Amino acid sequence: MKKILLFALISLLFLSSCTQKKKEELRIATNSWIGYAPLFYAKEKGYLDALNIKLITNVSLAEAVDIYSVGKADLVTTTLHEYHMLKNSGHAIVPIILLDRSNGGDMILSNRTIDELVNAKQIYAYLEIDSINAEILEDFLQHYKIDQNKIKYINKDQAQIEDLKPQKDKNILIVTYVPYNLSLEKKGFKEIASTKDMETIVVIDSLCSNQATIDIYQRRLQELKQIIDRSIHEIEANKQLSYEITKGYLGNISYDEYVNSFKLIEWINNPSKKLLKRIKPMDYDEKQLIK
Amino acid sequence: MKTISIKLFTAIVMLLLFTGGSYLFYKFFDDSKEVTERLLEENIQVNILNIKYFLDKNLQKNSINQLKAYLDNIVNSNTVINDIHIIDNQRKLLYATDRDTLLEHEGVHCSAISKIISSDIFEQQCYTFSIKLFDGLKPYYYSSIVYLDKDYLDSLLKDKIIKYLGLFISYTIIFILLLWFTIRKFIIAPLEELRQFAYYSEKTPRQFLIQELESIRYSLELTFRRLKKEQEELFNLSTKDPLSGLYNRLSLIEKINWLISRSQRSHAKFALLFLDLDNFKNINDSRGHEFGDKVLQHISKVLLSSVRDNDIVSRIGGDEFVIVLPDITDNKSILEVIKRIQHSLSMPVVFDNYKYHITCSIGITIYPKDGKNVTELLKNADIAMYKSKELGKNNFHFFTETLNDEIQEKMNIQRLMINALEEGNFKLFYQPKVDIQTNQIVACEALIRLIDPIHGLISPDKFIHIAEENNFIIPLGNWIIEEAAKQLKLWENTPLQDIKLSINVSGVQFKNKNLFKIIENAIKNIDPSKLDIELTESVLMSDFDAKLKVIHQFKTLGLSLSLDDFGTGYSSLSYLKQIPFDTLKIDKSFIDDLENKQDQSFVNMIVTIADELGLEVVAEGVENREQLEYLKKMKCEQYQGYYCSKPLPVQEFETLFRVHNSIITEI
Repeated sequence: MKKILLFALISLLFLSSCTQKKKEELRIATNSWIGYAPLFYAKEKGYLDALNIKLITNVSLAEAVDIYSVGKADLVTTTLHEYHMLKNSGHAIVPIILLDRSNGGDMILSNRTIDELVNAKQIYAYLEIDSINAEILEDFLQHYKIDQNKIKYINKDQAQIEDLKPQKDKNILIVTYVPYNLSLEKKGFKEIASTKDMETIVVIDSLCSNQATIDIYQRRLQELKQIIDRSIHEIEANKQLSYEITKGYLGNISYDEYVNSFKLIEWINNPSKKLLKRIKPMDYDEKQLIK
Repeated sequence: MKTISIKLFTAIVMLLLFTGGSYLFYKFFDDSKEVTERLLEENIQVNILNIKYFLDKNLQKNSINQLKAYLDNIVNSNTVINDIHIIDNQRKLLYATDRDTLLEHEGVHCSAISKIISSDIFEQQCYTFSIKLFDGLKPYYYSSIVYLDKDYLDSLLKDKIIKYLGLFISYTIIFILLLWFTIRKFIIAPLEELRQFAYYSEKTPRQFLIQELESIRYSLELTFRRLKKEQEELFNLSTKDPLSGLYNRLSLIEKINWLISRSQRSHAKFALLFLDLDNFKNINDSRGHEFGDKVLQHISKVLLSSVRDNDIVSRIGGDEFVIVLPDITDNKSILEVIKRIQHSLSMPVVFDNYKYHITCSIGITIYPKDGKNVTELLKNADIAMYKSKELGKNNFHFFTETLNDEIQEKMNIQRLMINALEEGNFKLFYQPKVDIQTNQIVACEALIRLIDPIHGLISPDKFIHIAEENNFIIPLGNWIIEEAAKQLKLWENTPLQDIKLSINVSGVQFKNKNLFKIIENAIKNIDPSKLDIELTESVLMSDFDAKLKVIHQFKTLGLSLSLDDFGTGYSSLSYLKQIPFDTLKIDKSFIDDLENKQDQSFVNMIVTIADELGLEVVAEGVENREQLEYLKKMKCEQYQGYYCSKPLPVQEFETLFRVHNSIITEI
């Protein structure tokens, strides 16, 4: 009798073990930014699939943050702006992998020169207000002492901004970034400032997550870091191949534009001590970063 | 090992099934709930994200009226969302789908949209999120509350619980009932029937549906059928005689005991007929036992056909049958049965072309007169049967007390003889044979005497014929031969050294195939001519040829032979021709009436014949001088009788010999 009961118990345990869930999926919310090309590359090469990591690509980081906020993503790519915004809204957000530093990748375009803008009575500024665009614009206005009261802020996402055309009777400022800048420049907008020559602002992109996810998936995140390193290495080694793989994520830019875009960013997946020291006051703690 | 009933076992199995089923149901329900929860969660997430996105992009200060239609539409077209509130940075309610509501719902706790993943979707009533607006580049925040339709969510979960729980319970009850009734009908009930069948072996169960049970039932049925057959065979074996099919001794005893019990209550009488076939041994010896068995089977049929239905016929051994006639009122009914049996048996029977006439002897006892129990009834019937045989066979005899006394006396003598031989109570007495011319004792006849310590001297007339009946005469005869030889040895080198000693040999002793060897061994140390063997005519009546051969062998040993009691039997002269007798002994009956002229002629004739044949003549039973004188005239050689001496113990005989012969010598 005891044997029968033992057998029944083992059977139940066996049945219950059959219902165990498989490896849980990790989701990364991101957007189309040249600095996130390693993620797109890794996705297309199948490196992320091996870790059961899914990419959720949005038009802007604001949407990516919303996705992350409601829990539909476990990791999110952020600039300093999104990182601070999430942190300030109560999220236990932690930067774990640094991706790139904008070195001209974020820029301000205009149909006027800087002097014309300084002297203009009214300027229409198109930007994603709730993004790093706002910090860049603010830095630009302060730098050139342009009165903010004559600025009319128009909050659009980059996909909408991309459709703008130069108007002769309107003074237009556009805060954008690679690759959205390319079509705007083709329409006649000129770059009047960029992160390359803005000394006061550091625009870095990082992959963030919350502490709970980090604790649970520490090993997978370490493997993710290795994949990102590997992807950056492979992109740099063979731009042509990486272009073919990732161009769909970057608005189908040309190969030359693709190659030039990389000149506007600097990979910081293995950051220098100097950079780490500089970004430490911005709540980027070296200890939290996955090596 | 502790055993449990199949009912308990089934209950345990059902409990295990129920537990397993409950677990599966719980897992299924839990998974369903999780799926529903996930779908709901996604639905709510998507809806709230859309609302947030819409408000982020479109809400501006004082522009709420332009958004109302869109927000109303969202709520109205959505089953999950019940109400949307938009509250400005002054905590003023700018919009509520339910226009009657001017304030936030009371007592409702809302979670931030970021908690949607970690919250229980069925427990949440609303979610809140902030809407970022900008004054230039300076952000300020409105908030929005999205109320869920709690009733709908509850009903969604409750409906599932009720539906699946109801389904599970009803299914479980039906399943358990079906299982219980199925097991009861097809396993428990058949097993119970099998148990009853195995225990009582009555009422063969019907065929079962379950193959294994049916196999057991069939095997049991076959086994019981075989057992019953074997039981019947064993019963017949134990109660019936396998050859004749009649009741055997054991069964007969049982039935008689039953009859005795019944008769003790009803005072009814019953008769017991002990029947023994006459000369059946001859049939067996001449035709073999197989043939004898056929005869016995025939007799059995005859007996069965000769009695009433309620009479009991049994074969208790060999050619012995016992018939019990219950409820007899008088001897007439017994005699009728006996008459029928004798009549049926008198019909000649033909086996293997041989015609036989079979007769039987019957002894009859009647309960309670002739015996109080089976043993007495059978023993007394046996006695009566032997009496019947004594009377000449093909006869019957009722048991009587006199008959019983005779038998008791016979049995007593038998017992005394056996003890006497063991304890040395037999003695040889010696009666002299006197030469009539010289009056010298020249020979003697050794005569057996039984001197019992209690009963004293027992006459040979009382025990010799009994000894011959039960063959005791064989060991007794051997003892006599050896004792006589010893005595002759003792007499060597004494005055009695020339005396001749006669011993009597019974016809029964010739059955002993070692008789010759025994005599040969006995005389090897003595002079054989000193030993004389006396044979009576009756000895020679049966198996003459075989006996003649042995008698001739005696002669080769150097023994002499005497024909005893001559003249009383057939006195066939052919005996004298074929047997090399040395002496004729004239029977005492002729000597007793020797004054009679006729007897004188007979004696004279015997003496003449003996003289002619060269035989010596000894007259027996001479008791007076006149008889002796007459014998002397007839030239009879020797006499024997009380005139000289009665049979004497050895010492007295020796004394007599010395005294008699010395006196005679002196004279």
